[in-house]
Amino acid sequence: MATLTPTLTLVSTDLSSNELNFSVTDSLTVTDPFIGMSNVTVTTTGADTIIVPSADARRFFFLRHTGVDGSGSTVTTDIKVEEGDENWFARVGPGEWMFLPLNCDGAQIIQLETTGGTIVAEYAYWTRS
Amino acid sequence: MATTTATLSIVSPDLLPSSPLSISASSTLMKADTSVGLHMMESGSGELTVTASNGGVVLKEATAAGENTAAKVYICNKATDPTYYIQVKLHDTIMGRLYAGDWMFMPWSQGAGTQEDEISVEAEGGTCPYEWAIFKEGETMVARTA
Repeated sequence: MATLTPTLTLVSTDLSSNELNFSVTDSLTVTDPFIGMSNVTVTTTGADTIIVPSADARRFFFLRHTGVDGSGSTVTTDIKVEEGDENWFARVGPGEWMFLPLNCDGAQIIQLETTGGTIVAEYAYWTRS
Repeated sequence: MATTTATLSIVSPDLLPSSPLSISASSTLMKADTSVGLHMMESGSGELTVTASNGGVVLKEATAAGENTAAKVYICNKATDPTYYIQVKLHDTIMGRLYAGDWMFMPWSQGAGTQEDEISVEAEGGTCPYEWAIFKEGETMVARTA
């Protein structure tokens, strides 16, 4: 088992007259299986890029859009994050990231597809003990 | 337009003892397909009590006007009992559990068709204090009816 410490910081000086400067941290005890930081080239076919397989496990999942395609050129297209084939719930733009818990209790998977062309994504996930 | 920055740090000294983990990611929250910052935020806090199945609280319901707009969602379970958790649901799909102290941050694409709609939360195990925030694009208010 290992300890994972994720911290989120949200900052804005002009979102409202109440300046936003906020931080929250957590301590997660994680165990096998986990996938460390990995890169994958995402295509327009989600079934080609299943990055979190189905399993009866509680996990935390990280994803980041690197802003480049498979050849290293800058892209403006998005990654669609799907919890089943074509069942997408989030579009991650260039440079954006997400960090969320996954239930993965049976058929649930996470797969990725682009809104056009290829995109290199970074991802990782960890299983809670 | 506003500039709001979300930064993530993930560290672990013992996940791989030979190579401590240190992830850092930062992004400015933008409107869909633009370089214009999101300029609206809704936030709140409260207590979620354990209710019958599907008795959770809807944090945000998708609207037709919101389709294909950008939004980012933050949710945190402020409970201290490690057995209490918040179940996060997208429409009728359980995405995951936030145990005491856990938080999440993600883009959310509201809309119709095959996209997921409302985000809701429900407590399991015991009452969970929680806080949330949604950063989003502007909304056009509907006309008042008599």
